[in-house]
Order: sequence, then structure tokens, then C-alpha cells
Amino acid sequence: MSQDGLDPVIHAPARLRLMVTLAALPEGDHLSFTRLQDLVGLTPGNLISHLRKLEDAGYVRTDKTGGGPSALTTVSLTPGGRAALDRYTTTLRQILDTARPGRVP
Amino acid sequence: MNEGTGASEGIGGELGMAAETDLDARGAAVIMREAGERARRELTVNRPAIFVAWALVYLLGYGTVWLSVRGQQPYDAPPGWALALLVVLAAMGLAVTAALTDRAASGVGGATAVRRRVYYLSLAIGWLGVVTMQAALRSAGASRGVIGILSASSPLLVAGVVLVAGTAAWLNWWMFGLGIWLIAVAAFSGFAGPAGTWAVDALAVGLPFLLLAGLRLIRR
Repeated sequence: MSQDGLDPVIHAPARLRLMVTLAALPEGDHLSFTRLQDLVGLTPGNLISHLRKLEDAGYVRTDKTGGGPSALTTVSLTPGGRAALDRYTTTLRQILDTARPGRVP
Repeated sequence: MNEGTGASEGIGGELGMAAETDLDARGAAVIMREAGERARRELTVNRPAIFVAWALVYLLGYGTVWLSVRGQQPYDAPPGWALALLVVLAAMGLAVTAALTDRAASGVGGATAVRRRVYYLSLAIGWLGVVTMQAALRSAGASRGVIGILSASSPLLVAGVVLVAGTAAWLNWWMFGLGIWLIAVAAFSGFAGPAGTWAVDALAVGLPFLLLAGLRLIRR
């Protein structure tokens, strides 16, 4: 955890965008690599790099089906990833509530 | 028919643009809000447009058929040009539905995609079934009036039953309510007679579809 309690694996613009985008799908669904790339606006190289970090943390799962030009890579949020994003969201709310102007510490 | 999980809902609504570097809590909140909104917008089927398309099918298509048969004593059948217009409008409704669904479902796999395919397959099989049943009734000597009522209302009955059954998979209660309404319209519109059925169906389906489109646009 970072100093303010936010998960450092999620707390980066690109990875945060990836996690939120994947969380918009119902549990059990997955997105193709190309559609995910389109939704988050990353280059393939950047997307692979960020997905690897999230996969190492157990937050996302990638699956490859088929081979050659018809190969399809799909990405989904794991239950652990969904729980981590929920924790991140809760912590972020607390930080923003504390920082709200006029609030007595 | 993804509604999203809303993980970022309500966060950062009052904040400005996200900073791509040196991410602070406010910037993170903005990213969550923007990414969540974009994902929901892109991955959700545009139902208001589909409702408007089908409202036009019923108001214009069924309405035209009613205008073409309302003077028939006894009831005979809609003229070819009126049925052709209805078929063209229904084909356009199907094309709009397919295009908007494909747009949202592109690249999405898993349980939702399977449910969606089963849902549309159920509709297609149901409609094929009632068309076949109409042919069977015709060959068994059913009157033109009976065939007229069945032609107008049976597609609604199939759509209603599929929507109600679909609620088990989607848990969307608007689907359930709409399905019950379509079943009720299909069941009772026949009492208006073979010509009147077309008018009742046109208004009782077309106007609520327009209302639903408006309500969903307001909810956005």
C-alpha cells in the first residue's frame, strides 16, 4: 500500500482506467484485447505492460484462444481484482471526504 | 445488456480534468468517473434508439395496416402494399436492433454474450413458430378474421413471453413489466375484432415504447 492507503498497483492512470473499464462488465464476462485497447486508448505495447502488472497482482486474467492470425486474447477482472477495486474506491472516498473544504479534522 | 457495476459511480462528479501525471486522489476520482462513464456508454446497448425504432414499426406499420382494413365488411385481409410496408419497417427495426446490439457487444464474451444469443434465438424460433401455426390454421379452415387477429397479436405474445422469461437471466424488472404488458396487449386486443386489433396493437405498443425511450433518455 502507498502512504495514503491506495493500492499502488491500481493507483496509476492507465491501470486505474483498465480496472474501471473491466469492472463495468458483469462478473463472468471478458473483453477482447482490441476492444479493451479501444476503450482505454493505449498502444498495444503499453496495454500489455500494464496488463502484466495487474495480472502479476492477480487482479486480471488474460486468456489466449486459437493461433496465428485468428488468435484472440481476452481480458477479464478476477474476483480478487474486483475486491481490490472496491477497496481502492472505498479508500479514495475516505481521502476525498477528509480533504473536503470546511471539514473539521 | 450490461448495466455496469457502478464501481466508480458518484465519485469525482464535481471535479475537473484528470492529470495524467502525478496522480492525486482528485485526479484518480476523475479518471474513475470518466472511464466508468465511457465503459458504460460503449458497452451498454442503446435501448432508447431501439424503442424508438420499434415504436415506429408499430405506429406506422400496424397503423397503416389498420387504415387499410378498417372499412372491410366482413374482414378479408390487409392489401399486399400494407403488408409490404409492415415487413419493410419490421426489417428496419430488426436491422437497427442488430446494429446497436453488435456495437455494444463487440469484443465482449462470456455469460452475457451467451444469454444474448439465446434470447434472440428464442425470439426468432418463436416468431417462426407462430407464422407456421398461422399456415396450419389457414389450411385447417380458420376464418380470415381469426387469422387476422393471430397475425397482429401473436408476434407480441412471443416477444412478451421471451421478455418475461429473459428476466430470469437478466434480472431486469423493466423487461418483466414490458413483457407482461405485451402479453396483456396480445391477449386482449383481439376483442377489438380483426381490424381493430391492428389499431389497438399499434397504439398500445407504439406509444409505451416512445414513453420508455423518453424515460431512459431522462435517466441518462
